[in-house]
Amino acid sequence: MLMPRRVKHRKQHHPKRTGAAKGGTSLAFGDFGIQAVEGHYVTNRQIESARIAMTRHIKRGGKVWINIYPDRPLTKKPAETRMGSGKGSPEWWIANVKPGRVMFELSGVPEDIAREAMRRAMHKLPMKCKFVTREAGDF
Amino acid sequence: MSESNIQAEPRTEFGKGAARRIRRADKVPAVLYGHGSDPIHVTLPGHDTMLALKHGGVNALLTLTVDGTEQLALPKQVQRDPIKGFLEHLDLLIVKKGEKVTVEIPVHLNGEAAPDALVVTEHSTITVEAEATHIPEYVEVSIEGAEVGTQVFVRDLEVPTGSTILADEDTLVINVTHAPTAEELEAELEEAEAEAGIERDEAEVEEGEAAEGAEGEAAEGESAEGEGDSEE
Repeated sequence: MLMPRRVKHRKQHHPKRTGAAKGGTSLAFGDFGIQAVEGHYVTNRQIESARIAMTRHIKRGGKVWINIYPDRPLTKKPAETRMGSGKGSPEWWIANVKPGRVMFELSGVPEDIAREAMRRAMHKLPMKCKFVTREAGDF
Repeated sequence: MSESNIQAEPRTEFGKGAARRIRRADKVPAVLYGHGSDPIHVTLPGHDTMLALKHGGVNALLTLTVDGTEQLALPKQVQRDPIKGFLEHLDLLIVKKGEKVTVEIPVHLNGEAAPDALVVTEHSTITVEAEATHIPEYVEVSIEGAEVGTQVFVRDLEVPTGSTILADEDTLVINVTHAPTAEELEAELEEAEAEAGIERDEAEVEEGEAAEGAEGEAAEGESAEGEGDSEE
């Protein structure tokens, strides 16, 4: 699964969840993509799960790009623990996705297969997403 | 490349407040510059501009009528809302008939590669120099029956007469690579699922295996529908 090899600070503050994506809002590599309509934290498990769902559907044809990287750690305190005693231990790695961000791209397959593969992948993601194509959105 | 006529109104008020008022009225703020002239701030009709860009592509040639004078312009930068997709602002470059301009044109693929090949587009646009009134819409590349290892470079591309490709001729545009075999793909996905702790339902796995078996028996090896979905 995607995660940084080493980080400067093991425990970080929560990333800001406001605002829209500043970049990465159009297709850069593939012909089809999944664009976030809402902002959300996306864990490395969700990214991997979406990639597997997509790859299983397209089988041998096609190439998948992942445009987000889970580089922020989130911590969690153990269950039934009293408050205090410092910050919990790192539990998840997340990518802070803002609305408008194209998270996955795909090429080398017909549109109907790409649409279905990405529909399956969207079910693995925590936010509302939409399917985008180079022809429709990148004039 | 198509040419569209658009009625532009000169703009006298600036800033985000004015720009938002213009957008609320279904118009697009734009700026027109080039040939050493002072920039002209204009307001364009939203629907007409959107249609002109949609039909003419990113290099649509626009004929703007500002205060009764006609001017040819090319979109230099198009700012769009990332989610809704409406036009937020346009930078337009003044051009003259017969003038050579540098633009990016898309690469279109034609045909189907060999069955075991995976076609990867390394560069989806190419920089060309062309007459402003005769900009090619796209460069077509035929990959019909292309075998694994086929590479298309910029030097292999053909553009209409009057246009010149400015990109480095050794730049790789299309790369035909070997698609992973079914066994390689399955092994990679199973490893990834095991690492992520994803379990698939037995019924789905059996269904998937049945589909793969049917595929292996089929002479053409066409993909069977009804592949099982993976679940966390």
